[in-house]
Amino acid sequence: MPQLQRQVFLGSIVVLLLIVGLLPLLSMLFKSMIIDGHFSLEAYRGLLASRHQWVLMRHSLALSSWVTLLTLLVGVPLGVILGKTDLPLRRTFAVLFVTPLLIPSYIVAVSWFDLLGSEGLLADLLGNPVAQMTNSFLFSLSGCVAVLFTIFLPIPMLLTMIFLRTIDPSLEEAGRLVSGWFGVLKGISIPLILPAVLLAAMLVFLLSFGEFSVPAYLRYDVFPVESFTQFSAFYHFQAATAAAVPLVAVTLLLLLAEALFLQEKTYPLRPSATIGRSMTIALGPYRKGVFVLITLLGFVIVILPIVVLLIESAGMDAYREALDRAGGSLLHSLYYAALGATLLTFVGFFVGYLIHHRTVRYWRMIDSVTIFLFALPGTVIGIGLISLWNTPWTNFVYATPMIIILGYLAKYTALTSRITAAQLAQISPSMEEAAQVAGAGWFRRMVLIVIPLSWRALLAGWIVGYLFSLRDTEITMLVYPPGYETLPVRIYTLMANGSPQLIAALCIIMISATLLPAALLWMLYHTMTTKEIK
Amino acid sequence: MMIVTMDDVSKAYKTTTILDKLSLGIKEGERVVLLGPSGCGKTTTLRLIAGFVAPDSGTVSIAGESVSRDGQIIKPPEERKVGMVFQDFALWPHLSVKENIEFGLKAKGIAKAKREEQVRKMLVVVDMDGYADRKPAELSGGQQQRTALARALALQPKLLLMDEPLFSLDQELNSRLRREIVLLQEKLGFTMLYVTHNRDEAFAIATRIVMMQKGRLEFDGSVAEAEYRLRQV
Ligand SMILES: Nc1ncnc2c1ncn2[C@@H]1O[C@H](COP(=O)(O)OP(=O)(O)O)[C@@H](O)[C@H]1O
Ligand SMILES: [Mg+2]
Repeated sequence: MPQLQRQVFLGSIVVLLLIVGLLPLLSMLFKSMIIDGHFSLEAYRGLLASRHQWVLMRHSLALSSWVTLLTLLVGVPLGVILGKTDLPLRRTFAVLFVTPLLIPSYIVAVSWFDLLGSEGLLADLLGNPVAQMTNSFLFSLSGCVAVLFTIFLPIPMLLTMIFLRTIDPSLEEAGRLVSGWFGVLKGISIPLILPAVLLAAMLVFLLSFGEFSVPAYLRYDVFPVESFTQFSAFYHFQAATAAAVPLVAVTLLLLLAEALFLQEKTYPLRPSATIGRSMTIALGPYRKGVFVLITLLGFVIVILPIVVLLIESAGMDAYREALDRAGGSLLHSLYYAALGATLLTFVGFFVGYLIHHRTVRYWRMIDSVTIFLFALPGTVIGIGLISLWNTPWTNFVYATPMIIILGYLAKYTALTSRITAAQLAQISPSMEEAAQVAGAGWFRRMVLIVIPLSWRALLAGWIVGYLFSLRDTEITMLVYPPGYETLPVRIYTLMANGSPQLIAALCIIMISATLLPAALLWMLYHTMTTKEIK
Repeated sequence: MMIVTMDDVSKAYKTTTILDKLSLGIKEGERVVLLGPSGCGKTTTLRLIAGFVAPDSGTVSIAGESVSRDGQIIKPPEERKVGMVFQDFALWPHLSVKENIEFGLKAKGIAKAKREEQVRKMLVVVDMDGYADRKPAELSGGQQQRTALARALALQPKLLLMDEPLFSLDQELNSRLRREIVLLQEKLGFTMLYVTHNRDEAFAIATRIVMMQKGRLEFDGSVAEAEYRLRQV
């Protein structure tokens, strides 16, 4: 039986993924229908009967729709400008705009509170009446929308940038012969990347829908908050699950829509002969104006919030106290994130290989499963993990940091697998085929040819896995065993009674713990890439 | 003795038939050129023989043994002992010329001393000694082509498959390498199935020409017969 090695190995990866990701959800669903040892839909009946639930649903939908609309309206043009024009400092801007996505989202909310809140910086500067207005702006739908907008803006921006680069340049060149850039973008480039834009829309919608920490902090009632409160404040498992089910349903529905409408529409990528060639839009007389505009946007939505935190936390005392009270959590965070990133890179690599080569029937299902888990609110994954592993026999998972790592693996594999699949698409299949005719079996081909050729994806995957594990708040907050909490969780609990100075200092520490290693790794990646080109 | 036989091999992608009951036999020592317009199914034929794709129906045999039959790959490519030169050369960019050639020998578990000797021999054969430590990106098109050839021949395969190997090279280099390939084949005596859509190239290389059109064979004969036939059209 040829290909046995490969099938067994890849099969085990798939099984692992199903156990880590899907089994918890099934267990949760099952247990929510068993009350006092009998089958019962009581929890769901309670859910449907309550008018409050419909209010929550309306809130959730309003929040996600507004965030999606705004991020697309700004993110796609921003992606075009940063990805395709001759604007100076394009890369720097791109990195700048990505920053809010990399830190725990409620920290962004905290920084806006320190600026706009009733005791914030603005109150000091402009007096109380103004601060009252900005404060009520912040603690409402509009505040939630604004904060989540700054966090999710990089998603359409990045997808636009990436997919614009995959367009065969001759398609745009042909258009440029008969039309100006505006017409080419409108008639050719954007329609060609429409699937990516819609994918971005779907991701932003689902991520906002599942966002827990920001609405909770800004006291805007949405579904995930309800689910979390039922669970952690009242220990009411059935009600928590019942509140989680609409979240699962909406996620599934949207993904189904994506599968039906989008997957057939993806266009073939550019021929490899044209890689490296691409058309640049000369901004000409608009260059200065666009530069000022982008700088302003970057200043307001990224730099200002961080500066506010720095001002709020000024002085050594706050930092000393912060390290005193949360130093251990910081170490936990770094350690789990590194472990999570390593596992995510490994599993994601083989899932990506599987997706790219379609070696297992139902490969598309595996891809959909990882995307589903990524889009699913962390709260739901957390409740699922507890439901599955909280048994007397599985304490080795439930009572140890392993349950946190499993959560990362369940939620973020989509990131590393997609990165791998994208990289593999760049590598000519004849690379592996040539090794095969040379007599190399599957493991040898992987270790000697495919993995060395994919090192970029491995490194990029590790960085992304690290960042997302590190910023995770939702899953960790639900599942962490006593004594093993991470920094984002610790900050969140300290917010109840810590001074604003302390909280601001903790946020700055969290941001540094994210950005410093990311910057170092990015530099490593960069030097390695340029060295290879040389 | 037949090196390769294809019996009634058909292949379709979705509903489009690519190969339609194709039968072909290649004898030891022949230089067969598969000639046909772009898209007629030449590459698919090579990939069927190499074992990258399975025939929907029909049998592929190598040295008398069925290696694929009716939708099933019985023997995977790594066990078929055929060499292949890819249209894009497919040289592994992270390995040097020497390492590229050595790869298959290593996979087969051949001892180091013997490996090195074989690599050196191959480098001499394709006139590439002195370039052993270069990376593929540091070679000219012709040198890349020779390296790909050396790599394909390193394990001394009975059968060498070549898919438009001179396609990406300029005219002058193309003509020179045609002659080199023929000389090399005469010297080493392997069997060759060579794919091209270029008539001149086909005549320069072949001892036998097979013409293909829309997934069917429509001519199979000697070079002289092929010339006669093409003159008639
Ligand atoms: N993997 C595939 N999926 C779908 N169609 C394919 C695939 N491989 C080849 N084809 C189609 O089969 C036909 C023959 O392809 P090919 O064998 O590459 O032709 P040639 O090498 O003679 O140019 C082409 O029309 C091509 O589009
Ligand atoms: Mg071809």
